[in-house]
Amino acid sequence: MTRYIARRLLQGAGTLLLVMFVLHLLTTVAIQLNGNPAQAFFGDKVATPAQVAAVEERFGLDDPCFDQPGNPCLGPFAERLGQYARGDLGTNLRGREVADIVGAAAPNTLRLFCVVVVTWLALGMVLGSVAARWRGSAGDHGIRLTSVLIDAFPVFVLLIVYRYVVAVPLNRWSKETFGEDSWPPYWFRPSFDPAHPWATVLVPGILLGLAGSAAFIRLVRASQLESYAGEHVRTARSKGLSEPRVVVHHVVRNSSVPVVTAVGLTFAEALGGAVITEGLMNIYGMGGVLWEAVRNDDVGLVLGIVTLLTTVTVLVMIAVDIAYALLDPRIRLGTDD
Amino acid sequence: MAQITSRITATAGVAAVALTLAACSPSDVEGATDGPVTVETWISQDMETLFPGDAGSYDNISVLDVVYDGLVRYDPETTEPYNYVAESIEPGAENLVWTITIKPGLTFQNGEPVDAEAFARAWNYTADGDNGLYSNYFFSIIEGYDDMQPETGDDGEIVAPGAVDELAGLEVVDDLTLRVTLNKPFAGFATVLGYTGFFPVAQECLDDVEACATEPIGNGPFQVTEWTQSQELTAEKWADYPLDETPDYDAIHWTEYATGETSSWADFQAGQLDLSFPPTAEVEAARNDPELSQRYVERPGSALTYLGFSLYDDGPWQNVEFRKAISMAIDREGIISSLGSGSATPADSWVVPGGVPGGEAGTCEWCTYDPDAAEEALRRAGGWPEGEKLQISLGDDAAEVEYFTAIGNSIETVLGIPYELNIDPDYFSTRAAQGYDGMFRNNWFPDYPLNENYLSFYASGEPGAGHFGWYSKAFEDKLDEAAQAPTLDESIDLYQEAEGILAEEFPTIPFRWSFSATYYSERLDNVVLNPFSGAPMLRAVEVTDA
Repeated sequence: MTRYIARRLLQGAGTLLLVMFVLHLLTTVAIQLNGNPAQAFFGDKVATPAQVAAVEERFGLDDPCFDQPGNPCLGPFAERLGQYARGDLGTNLRGREVADIVGAAAPNTLRLFCVVVVTWLALGMVLGSVAARWRGSAGDHGIRLTSVLIDAFPVFVLLIVYRYVVAVPLNRWSKETFGEDSWPPYWFRPSFDPAHPWATVLVPGILLGLAGSAAFIRLVRASQLESYAGEHVRTARSKGLSEPRVVVHHVVRNSSVPVVTAVGLTFAEALGGAVITEGLMNIYGMGGVLWEAVRNDDVGLVLGIVTLLTTVTVLVMIAVDIAYALLDPRIRLGTDD
Repeated sequence: MAQITSRITATAGVAAVALTLAACSPSDVEGATDGPVTVETWISQDMETLFPGDAGSYDNISVLDVVYDGLVRYDPETTEPYNYVAESIEPGAENLVWTITIKPGLTFQNGEPVDAEAFARAWNYTADGDNGLYSNYFFSIIEGYDDMQPETGDDGEIVAPGAVDELAGLEVVDDLTLRVTLNKPFAGFATVLGYTGFFPVAQECLDDVEACATEPIGNGPFQVTEWTQSQELTAEKWADYPLDETPDYDAIHWTEYATGETSSWADFQAGQLDLSFPPTAEVEAARNDPELSQRYVERPGSALTYLGFSLYDDGPWQNVEFRKAISMAIDREGIISSLGSGSATPADSWVVPGGVPGGEAGTCEWCTYDPDAAEEALRRAGGWPEGEKLQISLGDDAAEVEYFTAIGNSIETVLGIPYELNIDPDYFSTRAAQGYDGMFRNNWFPDYPLNENYLSFYASGEPGAGHFGWYSKAFEDKLDEAAQAPTLDESIDLYQEAEGILAEEFPTIPFRWSFSATYYSERLDNVVLNPFSGAPMLRAVEVTDA
């Protein structure tokens, strides 16, 4: 187990370095081809070469390699790695500490993800299990139809409709019904409120979770159906175990492996949904920050954030692998291969 | 394991609910009714600094407007400057040397005096090119500016820092007197002094500029008490404020929005904000709401969107008749009324009419839609080369793409010139590098209310330079003459003549003026828009129900 984890960590570190280097190259090429972001600082003003040069220096873009298309800019990359090794994530273009930005944005995204994952699991496990247990029933058909409907309804439509059509009247209604001083008006606020982060992230999180839950419902249903047909279940039943025990111990548990995998894999994908949700609901989070950073050719910020995200993703993947072993003893962690 | 999974699910669910309900009621954190009277408004999320010399966007300029006081402020009706922190601002002979006297007894919010030194240190720091601040270029009018700029090599890299750290033209005569020597005469110097970049800064601020950029030490009626960058900003009234332009309410709270004002509209409707404007799709609904339309102010804005040509390159656009043809082929009225739902004004001048001293409507003779005259002008210009497309370049902005598609269609319909839009995410750097071929979008948001500000950036100094590659000696001579005029009024007249030369040589095509509007909540009164910036004047706002 230890050896397995060590090997995965090493692989993870390798992946991380590779991702960082590829991103470094991409942003560098973007700057080389598109022109220096220092120019955008001046907007409509006509800047003299000295003014542009001074701002380039301030932004850390004064290395001549940024003006030479094709130059991989290894110098600035090595410098940045050294910085990271010292635990310094550097600054964004305008000199704000990346650590501060992440410190402010990450908790909001994590809150959102918490709500999303709970929604996924709750909906996926409950509806998927019900559909599998009573396969072919009206309930099963209803649940499958619902999952198709959810898929057909893009998350941004769901959020826009919620924000512009539902939230305002709901918010007013809850104020009148429960009073300004109660929680419901906060749940239905059209935008995030940093002073009440959990209350205002709840509904957007549930909506984003809802949008992603269709895949989970189908996954849980399919893998449980497989279990129901499995020999171990037949054996369990023939041993005279009660139905609830068979379902819980032999069906649900065995079908959890693909679900956990999916949570791990969808974690990275959820960031895409987070960009939309954060943008629409005005949540200051990692998705939105990364989006803006890429738009502004903000090398320092892009690399800093992606490095952190990659680290998290690699760790989640390892955690998922370990969870496999715990869920299914047949999956060995390669101590003897 | 199944129990574990479901237990985890249940625990997480309970935890989320518990965290939500952790406090008994939300008002533990925020007083809903009995707290300070706070005006709730919005800014964009990308505001990075509150250091006056580095502020260049609508957001930080409007925040700093209540946190700092400048030497002059601008009359909300006429936009003309009047002395505020300054006791007097007197030009010497030929408008070259200016003597500024400061009102006695003024302090910063930390107790430091607001004196001549406070202005000198702020200006020197911003004028120092090595610091790379946004407002640096404003100080190029003061003597000694060039010596403070870094030296650059052939590849645009810095080879040596600026030789000196102080403006030679800045002299602290005594505690309250500052003498400024300009590079060349400029009759409008007093007008410039109300701009954010000319605000004074405290010594404590310069000692730690980074801290001061997020916790400004102002001399204005409001003090920034908390800024959670990219999320929210609070400023409370400064109890010891000595001057009179300060409102009756206690605090201002800005919520920061990722996509600016229009994303704040839902919050405004839910009663969380006092000021906002709807997104395009909801403009009509808001306008038709009988109750809401009572709480609405609007006025023409001062930002000009206009079209430039790549005059640094060969092409039919070198012929002034061709440029006139294009201009007359653009149906400004039609495009703006169909796309902007009235939220803009067709432009027929280069200086905003009525918005700044010297601005008059109709200075552009060829800015009226006239298909026949346009065709005639194109014929005189020798037509458009067969089989080629006119490229129209602009930045990546959905609303502008709509406008420019309409412009392209208008030109194609009238003149038969096929066009293609070139949507360039790196518009600013491409334009600065003279990288366009054909026509391209431009926008000018003025820095201070004087017609000169709309004109002087055309002075490229030599043929082929600048964003457009346009040069006119007559135009630049006229600007110099205007700057040296004995009085501001005479100067304004001469700048108008310079605009006349622009109208004659026609290097660019005015398209539309911006438009400012806001809705406000029931509890606000006396909401006035600044005629110049278009921002609601927070110092004038009254809160009726406290």
